[in-house]
Amino acid sequence: MTVHNLYIFDRNGTCLHYSEWNRKKQAGISKEEEFKLMYGMLFSIRSFVSKMSPLDMKDGFIAFQTSRYKLHYYETPTGIKLVMNTDLGVPNCRDILHQLYSTVYVEYIVKNPLCMLGETLQSELFSSRLDSFIRALPFFSVRAA
Amino acid sequence: PSVFIADMADEALFQFLHNEVIQYVNSAESGETENGRCVSKLENMGFRVGQGLIERFTKDTARFKDELDIMKFICKDFWTCVFKKQIDNLRTNHQGIYVLQDNKFRLLTQLSTGKQYLEHAPKYLAFTCGLVRGGLSNLGVKSIVTAEVSVMPACKFQVMIQKM
Repeated sequence: MTVHNLYIFDRNGTCLHYSEWNRKKQAGISKEEEFKLMYGMLFSIRSFVSKMSPLDMKDGFIAFQTSRYKLHYYETPTGIKLVMNTDLGVPNCRDILHQLYSTVYVEYIVKNPLCMLGETLQSELFSSRLDSFIRALPFFSVRAA
Repeated sequence: PSVFIADMADEALFQFLHNEVIQYVNSAESGETENGRCVSKLENMGFRVGQGLIERFTKDTARFKDELDIMKFICKDFWTCVFKKQIDNLRTNHQGIYVLQDNKFRLLTQLSTGKQYLEHAPKYLAFTCGLVRGGLSNLGVKSIVTAEVSVMPACKFQVMIQKM
């Protein structure tokens, strides 16, 4: 079981952070295009899900899966979007993404006066804490299943 | 549970306010000597706050025996009240110079561990230098307080007692 990669977007679609741990295949396009594609897809799917929902919506879009990987999505009330790709064995990640937000993003970015909102995240402390957090997850192992 | 949340909110509140004060003073002083003036403004603010804080913290304590006793109070009780931890190491040459070492200074822990953002660190220490100087001044001790950082979040505050 493993985590492949993680994207963090802000409310305006700027990709604040991207990390990968276990990605065997690249998208074949530049990183900027990839981020735009990801953000555009999320935006569309969220609006699709809320429009087409046959019942009253609670959390909205949470995850999608293919035969090889699962994409988990979590959005905070302030519009920060966390997207994590894992392999199929991993259950619902909302709590984990929420914890990532509150213990890593809020602690090391929001509380860091030298990190400006809307800019890509430069803090090394943030990157290293994020990395340790992901590596410490129970379903993370360096080799994909 | 509700008390715990209040504690967390207190600390975050002070940190955010402190950071905003620094940004404000910094932007108000954009000139050649900006860093120096910014630092002294922050230090003066800290001085006034320190004077007030020490009155509150010592209203029920006994008189201090000597200078060393005062410094120990600053390192233990005062630091705990403000930063929820004590100073990790106090050194002195017994001739009026004291070095207070904090290995995990609360206002720097979110910035970095190591060298990133080092050039901005002095601004984040200025208020606290003033805090110490103000506290000492209301205890009858005149001093000059400076701070230095080499690897965050550890830092050292140097207190030089001025003989009146």
